[in-house]
Parts: sequence; structure tokens; C-alpha cells
Amino acid sequence: MKRIARLALALGTAMLMTSVGHAEQKTFKIWWFEEPTTAQGIVWKKALEEFKTKHPDINVSFEQKTFQQLQASGGMILNSDQAPDVLEYNKGNATAGLVASQGLLTNLDDYVKKEGWDKILNEGDFVLSRYDEKGIYGSGPVWGVSVFGEYVSCFYNIDMFEKAGLKPPTTLEEWVADMEAFKQKGLTPLALGAIDTSGQHLLASLAYTKADDAWVQNYQGLKAPLDGAPYLYAAQTLLDWVKKGYINKDSTGMKDPDAALLFTSGKAPMYVSGTWNLGTFASTIKDFEWGQFVIPTPKYSVGSTGNLWVVPKGSKNPDLAAEWISLTLSPKYQAELGNAGGVPIAADLSVITNPIGKNAAAVFKQISDKNGLGFYPDWPVPGYYDVLNQKDTGLFQGSLTAEQFVEQIKQVYDDTQENQ
Amino acid sequence: MAISSQRSSDGSRSYSLYLIPGTIGFILIVLIPQLANLGLSFTAWKGVGTPRPVGLQNYHRLLTDDQFWGSMYHTLLFIVSMTVIPVCIGLVLAALLFDYVRDQFGEWVSSFFRAGFYLPQILPVTVAGVLWGWILNPVGVINITLKAIGLDNLAQNWIGDATYALAAVSLVIVWIQVGYCLVVFMAGLSRIDPSLYEAAELDGANWWSRLVTITIPLLAPEIFVVVLTTLIAALKVFAPIFVITAGGPDNATLVPSYLTYYHFFTTQRVGYAAAIAVVQTTLTIALAVIFLRFQSQQESKE
Repeated sequence: MKRIARLALALGTAMLMTSVGHAEQKTFKIWWFEEPTTAQGIVWKKALEEFKTKHPDINVSFEQKTFQQLQASGGMILNSDQAPDVLEYNKGNATAGLVASQGLLTNLDDYVKKEGWDKILNEGDFVLSRYDEKGIYGSGPVWGVSVFGEYVSCFYNIDMFEKAGLKPPTTLEEWVADMEAFKQKGLTPLALGAIDTSGQHLLASLAYTKADDAWVQNYQGLKAPLDGAPYLYAAQTLLDWVKKGYINKDSTGMKDPDAALLFTSGKAPMYVSGTWNLGTFASTIKDFEWGQFVIPTPKYSVGSTGNLWVVPKGSKNPDLAAEWISLTLSPKYQAELGNAGGVPIAADLSVITNPIGKNAAAVFKQISDKNGLGFYPDWPVPGYYDVLNQKDTGLFQGSLTAEQFVEQIKQVYDDTQENQ
Repeated sequence: MAISSQRSSDGSRSYSLYLIPGTIGFILIVLIPQLANLGLSFTAWKGVGTPRPVGLQNYHRLLTDDQFWGSMYHTLLFIVSMTVIPVCIGLVLAALLFDYVRDQFGEWVSSFFRAGFYLPQILPVTVAGVLWGWILNPVGVINITLKAIGLDNLAQNWIGDATYALAAVSLVIVWIQVGYCLVVFMAGLSRIDPSLYEAAELDGANWWSRLVTITIPLLAPEIFVVVLTTLIAALKVFAPIFVITAGGPDNATLVPSYLTYYHFFTTQRVGYAAAIAVVQTTLTIALAVIFLRFQSQQESKE
């Protein structure tokens, strides 16, 4: 009996000590939704190891989330006591802007100065970090920080271009001429997944060829009813391209991965999409050389600074969260991001050795330096992503004329603009 | 008499204990969220912050929303592909496997087919949806096959053209549903006295007359259950649409569940989404009640 009592006492003491130990160890929670195979996923994982080594006394807990999870229930999570200390959050009025305006995020203004982020990023890089009291981007306090960039461009098959004696275009006319040359050879030049984003990205890129500063600011800021002229031009051009066979009419039955497959398997010489494809293309395309050219517009490209690191209002460790953000923004991990084939926001280009990352970082810098990030077409209106996808397919399959298309997307836009 | 009534009330009291876990579950998982949803349908809410009461505004908006009415119309068509067609095919197949294939080729062959038809029910809908997305897309297996055998004219943009999209998604749904109907009907057939079939056969009844005069009338209870469950499934169909067409092209395959999801998660009109869900739930419950009343009337006649 004595022995059992002693054993129980020892066990009890051990349990008590463990629980005291646990209570003393601070927990720091980080979430992100980048897939482990993307440049961000790879690099942040490394940064996480360094962060853990620096803070052996802290229990750093990481959880992999999905974009959909946070898109669907991010607000509810941030509103609960389950929110982490720092997390990746989608930028934009309907996402980061909404939760910022509802008081669910920590104001990072003090940290911007303290951590020196304003020395690393320019004011343009902060545009999507700032949200006013209505949740509209562009002004107000800094609620989140982006450490990477993204843009939509046209991926092209260098081998096919060289074989056809063509060069990547620098004007819209040259682009059309290239497409015509491929068409003459019996090829459909442009792979497109009209069910997904690439349809609306191509449409917006074409609209940006006719857009000036005022149009982009009004459009993205919901400042006036939609001036449909650039979209009308874009829709008419697309219909023309479908008619001429530059784009297959059947694109309405294709998702982005189906269209990307046409490009990666060497069946289509061009594919319009974003830098998020870089990693996958680098690892899957083995049979030909590929590159990307920026869609020839006077100034604006579809693209933006990347998703934001945000610190929930309820975070118990905002100082550590700021330290984490600084780590991912440090020259070391910015260079790593470029070397992993990603698009760093503030890297020293001379230290990036991966040609894909180097080119992408250079192109992003070029667009960002001229303030040419036109952002995504679905941003101004909550739910516009689906509206544009649905109406795009209507346009491509011929159930909507260019005028009807513009009229229908204008109706949804103006409705939101009026009721904001 | 007094003793027996006491016994019976004791009995029902002890039985009612068994209902407690189910009732608690129902209240927590079904009733409270439904009431909360009803409450939300009278508000404007973005998903965070405080809901703002707006009275009947969301319901008023519903009346003039073309997307909503379009989605209701599509639901009617999905009743055909989720209930009418699978029940008919399921009945014929069940009778064929039970009454003909089993006799001619043995139990094993009949079970093999039954398992084969049931397989889509086991497969997660998302997996089946992605697979069918590949099969039906313009460069998918169907079009490749049609072109390979020289039937280029029949190759279509199945899920990207409004003319075919609804039919293409319906085809996938029929494929999923048939197995469920078949398995229930075959289970029902096993309780029918084989001597009825033997007697009918001796009297010279062919396979079709045996189906119409013996199988269908005697399977009435199973048919009722299957029709009711598939009807409810049709009214709230979501997953195949979400995975295959996302309601497109140009809203050609939009259904109320998808519209609810869309407004709830992307347009941040949670109150409006709740109003759609209320209408959809009310319709489903009303149909189920009418159907069950009809069934109990039929049973009491028998």
C-alpha cells in the first residue's frame, strides 16, 4: 500500500509540474493558407524554424489553413477567442477592409515606424494595407502588411514562338499579329479557362488598355457609377478574338487548371494568368522553354501587393507578431522568396539567382514603381468575382452581346456603389 | 382498468426517455439554427458586427430577383433528374436484376451489378464532380472519344454552353442517384413472395406485366420512401453544382442552395441568404408533409 501511495504521490507531483510548466510556456499561434509547395509556403516554413529557434521558451504553433476556409469564415474566426496571434488574410475591401472596419484587427501604425517597415516598403506598397472606417482601402491606419507581390501576365511558350519566328509583343497590335500567325498555322493561340479567373483577368487587362488614372481610382474605390467604356472595348475585343479563332469558344467549359494544362502540355502557345502559377509551371514544364510578357497596356496591370499579415485584435502577443512580420520582410527571406520562384516585394535583385524569381521580382518592381498595379476587377463589389465569371461565360458562349454584358455588370456595380 | 392504464403510462414514460438524446440533438443542431436563420432573414448583416433589422425587405427583394426565380425553375428540372428518372430507371433495373439476371446468371452476377450501380453513392460527390468535370470539359474524354470515332458533330461544349449544361449536370446526378433507388428497391423485392411471380409466370405473364402488376404495387412503400428522400435531395441540391459548374454558364445551372451560399459568403448579404434558405426550407417541409399525408392516406385505404 505504501508503495502505491508513493507512486501516486510521484505521479501526482509530476503531473502538477508538467501542468505548471505548460501554464508558464507562452503559446504563439501563426496561420497561413499558402500551399506548402508555393514559394511563400516553402520560405515561410524556413522562417518559422528560425523563429522557433530564436524563441525556445515559446510554444510556436503553426496551422495550415485553406484560402476558402478564411474566405468563408475568417470574420467569424477573428470575432472569436480562437483567432491566432498573426495570420495571412486576403486583402481588399470585402475581406481585410471589412474586418478592419469592424474593429477585429490590431492597428499596426506604431509598428510601421518601430519595425522600420516604412523604410523597406514604399507608400504604394501600403495602399492595400490601409483601410478607412468604412473598410475602403487606400487611406486610414495600416491594418496589415504584405511581404510579396503578384501580377497577371501572359505566359508563353518560347520554343513555339521561336519556331514560328515570332517575338513576345510589346504592343496590343503585335500581340494580335502573333495570335494571327499561330492561327494561320492551325493552332488556337490563347488557352483560356472562362469558368475561373483567367477569363476576367484577360477581360480586365484589355479594359486597362483603355483606362486612365481617374477610371482606375473611381472603379476600384467605388467612387462613381461604372463608366462602361473600357469594359465595352474589352468585351468587343474578346468577342472578336473568339470569332477569329484566337480563343476557343469552348473555353466556357474549361476551368483554369484545364486551360493551364493546354499550355503546360505544349498544345497552346499562350496562357493569361497570375504569378501564382510560377512554382507549378517551373516544376511541371520540362519539354520546352517558357517565359512571360506583361500584357501591353499604357500603365496599369492586373495585380497587387500580396495577401496581408494581420494581427487580430485579441492577439496576446502583438510584439511577437510584429517580429514575425519583420522576419518575413527581412532581406534574407525576401531573397529566399525570389530564389524559390516567388515574387518578393522588397528584395535585392542582385542576390536572386533563380531566373524565374529574378524576372518576376523585376517585372513586379517595374509595375509597382510606376504605380501601375490596377488591382483585380472583382475587388470593388462583394460577390463581383462570381458575377464577372458568370457574365464572362455568357459573353463567350454568345448568349450576351458586348453591350448586354456591360449593362449587366454595370447594374450590379452601380447598385453597390449607390448603397454603400 | 386502472392498473392497465397506469402500466401503459409508465410504459410510455420509460419509452420517452429514449427520445431525449434525439430531441436534444434536434433542438441544438436543427431547431435553434433554423430559428436563428429565420431571425437573420429579417436583418441586413455582413457576417460580422451587429445585424441591422430591416423587416421584410429581404423577402421583398426575393420577389423581384430574377436569379432566385431562375434557380427555382432549375430546381423543378432537378426534381426530374434526381427523382423521376432515377426512380424509373431504378425500378426497371431492380426488377431486371432480381427477376431476370439473378435467375439466368446467378446471384453473383446480380450482386456485381447492384454493387456497380451503387458505387457512385459511396464516392464523395466532390470527387465524382471533379471526375465528371474532366470527362465533360471540351477537351475531356467524351469529346475525345466522339472525335476519335468520327462523330465530331456530336462533340459539344457540355458544361460551358447553356443549352447543354443543365442536361450534363443532370446526367451526373442521375448516375449518382440510380444506385440508391436500385438498392432500396432490391431490398424491397426480397420480401415479396416468389410464389406470386411463379404463379404469374405459369399464367403466361411476361416480364413487363409482372413488373406492372406485381413489382410496382407491392413495392409501393419503398417507392414512397425513395421518392420522398430524393425529392428532398433535389430541393436542396448543392454539391454537384458547386463542383461541376459553379452555377454557370451565365447562371444556367443556378439552384437556391448555391444562391444562398453565394450571398452568404461572397456578397456578404447574410440576411438575404437567410431569407432564401427560409423559403427553401419551408417549401421542402411543405412538400414532405403533403407527401407523408398522401402516403398515410394510401396506407389507410389499403
